[in-house]
Amino acid sequence: MRDRRKCLHPWAGFVLFATALAVNPLTALAQETRESEIAKKQEEKAAQAAPYQPNRYEQIMNNVEESFVSPPSGFFPYFGSVYSGGGFTLGAGYRHFYAREAVWEIKGLYSIKNYKNIEVGTRTPWNRSGRWNTGLRAGWRDATQVGFYGLGMDTVSDDRANARIKQTYVTGDVRFKPSWWTRLEGEVSYDDFRTEEGQGRAPSIETVYDPTTAPGLFSSPKYIRSEGTAAIDWRPAAGYARRGGYYGATFVDHTDTDETYSFQRVDAELIQHLPILRENWVLSFRGRVQSVLDDDDTVPYFLMPFLGSGSTLRAYSTGRFRDRHALLTTAEFRWIVNRLALDMAIFYDAGKVASRRRDLDFENLKSNWGIGARFHGPTTTPIRLEIAKGTDGWHLVISSNAAF
Amino acid sequence: MQMFSTTFRSRTFLCVVATAAALVFVNIAPQAQSRPKFYSDDPLTREPETQDASKVQDWDIGLIADLTLNLFSKPGDPTPGVRAQNINTIDEVPDSSWFTNRIYSRPVTIDEITRGPNVSDGPAPGKWTVIRPKTAGTAPGFTVRDEKGNVWFISMDARDYPIAATAAIAVATRLFWALGYNQIETHLTTVRPENVVVGEGVTIDSHGRRRRFTSQDVKEVFARANRSADGSYRVIAQRGLEGKVVGGFKYYGTRPDDPNDIIPHEHRRELRALQVFGGWTNLVDIKAGNTLDTVVAEKGRSVVRHYLQDVGSTFGTGSLNPRQGEEGYEYLYEGDRSAARFFTMSFWIQPWQTIDYDEHPEVGLFSAAAYEPEEWKPRVPVAALTRIQPDDELWAALRVMAFTDEHIRAAVKTGGFTDPAAEKLLADVLIARRNKIGLTYFAKVNPLTRFAFDGSALTFENPAVRSGLFDPPKGGYTATWARFDNNTGEAQPIGAATTGTSERLQPPAGIPTGSGTYLKVSIAAVEPASPAWAKPVEVYFRNAGNGWQLVGVERVPAGPAPFSVKPK
Repeated sequence: MRDRRKCLHPWAGFVLFATALAVNPLTALAQETRESEIAKKQEEKAAQAAPYQPNRYEQIMNNVEESFVSPPSGFFPYFGSVYSGGGFTLGAGYRHFYAREAVWEIKGLYSIKNYKNIEVGTRTPWNRSGRWNTGLRAGWRDATQVGFYGLGMDTVSDDRANARIKQTYVTGDVRFKPSWWTRLEGEVSYDDFRTEEGQGRAPSIETVYDPTTAPGLFSSPKYIRSEGTAAIDWRPAAGYARRGGYYGATFVDHTDTDETYSFQRVDAELIQHLPILRENWVLSFRGRVQSVLDDDDTVPYFLMPFLGSGSTLRAYSTGRFRDRHALLTTAEFRWIVNRLALDMAIFYDAGKVASRRRDLDFENLKSNWGIGARFHGPTTTPIRLEIAKGTDGWHLVISSNAAF
Repeated sequence: MQMFSTTFRSRTFLCVVATAAALVFVNIAPQAQSRPKFYSDDPLTREPETQDASKVQDWDIGLIADLTLNLFSKPGDPTPGVRAQNINTIDEVPDSSWFTNRIYSRPVTIDEITRGPNVSDGPAPGKWTVIRPKTAGTAPGFTVRDEKGNVWFISMDARDYPIAATAAIAVATRLFWALGYNQIETHLTTVRPENVVVGEGVTIDSHGRRRRFTSQDVKEVFARANRSADGSYRVIAQRGLEGKVVGGFKYYGTRPDDPNDIIPHEHRRELRALQVFGGWTNLVDIKAGNTLDTVVAEKGRSVVRHYLQDVGSTFGTGSLNPRQGEEGYEYLYEGDRSAARFFTMSFWIQPWQTIDYDEHPEVGLFSAAAYEPEEWKPRVPVAALTRIQPDDELWAALRVMAFTDEHIRAAVKTGGFTDPAAEKLLADVLIARRNKIGLTYFAKVNPLTRFAFDGSALTFENPAVRSGLFDPPKGGYTATWARFDNNTGEAQPIGAATTGTSERLQPPAGIPTGSGTYLKVSIAAVEPASPAWAKPVEVYFRNAGNGWQLVGVERVPAGPAPFSVKPK
């Protein structure tokens, strides 16, 4: 009878020894090669290989990228201006792309000053690229507290009164670039204005002014507006540029349907960016003249050329100075903090308004200076934060556009 | 069998002895013995790819995600100072699906440089049929099929910016091919719009849906391109790749569905070396989006082949216009530099800002004046480039320095410049930048290379001296010799150090002669002006029976051994 006390089958010890040899590195090394070592790792990876899954951050960024390059039809956030001086706005829209690079969209904006705008329109190409682009839009806006300080340069900020301006409009435009550096633009619009008592902290306009001091007070003109622009524009982009220039003239005809408030205006504008040391700094200059052509025409106060806003005299409230003619000059010293995203600027604005064209000289200009930060992309300036100091004090500018 | 049919006592004894021996062997032997330093198949000349990669799927690496991740984080292995992981034991990169040793490893002729990756004469004359719109990159272009049925990626110079972009692609493709990267067959040719038609069923992604790609789209592509005076358009035609295109590769991590891709890309030497090659050529747009992977059949197995697909944003030009001044010198965003400019109103001037360029419209902004190889930067920090180590830099520098002036001028000639002055300018700058690379990296580590030992003399090369950029070391060369135990790693000195002034040193007496023995030689150069040369290169030879074989070269031996780091 076999003894059950044996520890193992007689072979077992040798099997164990052989196994030990097999798994022991020393023995293994005698047969192992660099290639087999690598092969083993590849075999291990093969066992767990799986298709790539983008993480949450990558998914979000990929969606952003798609939306930026070729946004899909659907809802989108919208930031813009209801009316100059309306303050910070929030909005949303819905768009639908149709045909080839054509879009129709409906969008609405609401500002912290209770300004409202809703607009429906179509444009092709959707992003205004291309040699030709055309658009048609219809909308309604309500600016509840448009400031009016009286006419001329001798007004003070305490003269402010507010008016409410409602506008219904239907506008068509055509833009054509004969070459990359030339622009021709035309626009025809039906503009139906209604003016009413203003809201806000300032008194309503009719309590301070009358039709002689505020032409067109409570008028409700309906215009056929036609305007055309011819320009040389060799900036890389209008929304952000460190070099190049813009030299353009615009003729605007406002034909009142009942002929009371018809007038014509000419605007001329020069912009020049002078880069220094490979765009380490940029000197930027702007000059603009706006002039109503016929001295006998009556121009409603809210359509007169004005100075004072985030892109004119920046230390002054929107529409701080109004009259039939306006002159604006601006100089900026910009330093490029980051070429991709951030410029800083020190600026000086000076200008005047006048009731007579011959008074549009460089004497007694209102001026301000300031400093600003511009967060920009290659072609746009989505955030511009500036603080400016003029005779009315300090003024903060928050804008979603380039200064010029 | 007889012995196992003995008594219980003897069986028990045998059992105990065998078990004890096994346990002792298992438990003690590993502590006394580590893996040998060199395997029998070292040094590898080809990186093994043993698994089938046919299941690798196409992936899309988003531009913004890739850019921001690299710009604002540091993806990849956080361990500092990791040696390249795909090198062999003689400090070289084996051939692989990523890289093929060409210049420096073997003579490359002028004809080869001129031909680069090309194996055909380019697109067949006749109609080109558009089969796909161009979806990557900003240069105008599309994908066509020629009358022979071959597929070509077409890209053109941007409007009002002729020659430069297409020339850069043509030249850079030759240079990067010679450096060893997989490059796409690339031809410079012309096309007339009337010879381009849109194929059936071609569609384009447009605002979240697919729509037909039409002749109007083709017109718009041509409208963005530069038209020559004769109405034709100069184009770069790059041949469609064989195999299945499965997207690009990242410069960190590994591709999760490729079983052969086991080395984190940030630890691949040929990718790290783009810090040097990219600097030489000013290839600033290094990103996943400019790479391409294809699944191809190789030796009866599917493997992934990796391409540097777009090396066109190079030298002094981008695809649409001349290079911005800061490109090559600063990342798109650097917080400290932005802060310095913010507070100093940009009066904090950097050397690159005052370069007096010899500007030429066919070259753009490209200069050697302010180029400092170690300071060069692509647009965003690239994980692999930021991990480069001194031995990687030397490896790369050896290849750049292997380009003769004639090589460079031959490559530049393929750019089809219309002005000889542009051709000369580009070649001159490349030559000057090449020399800066030699001056920088040959001084940074002991550069001795091409070691051989025939039993009677050790020979090597000092590439720094051979380049003419450095004088021979004043104190000559010194070598210490040792018998090396491949299993224990122990080295037993042999005799006294030997010295000499030439690239040939005599061994001391007592060199082992037996087959399978190993010899370790530590070689330094004594040159006060190049103190890094004093750190010896450790070189290992194995007596293969029929002579001594070089099996090991270590310049920077610290850190984990090759093929040992796993992806994080």
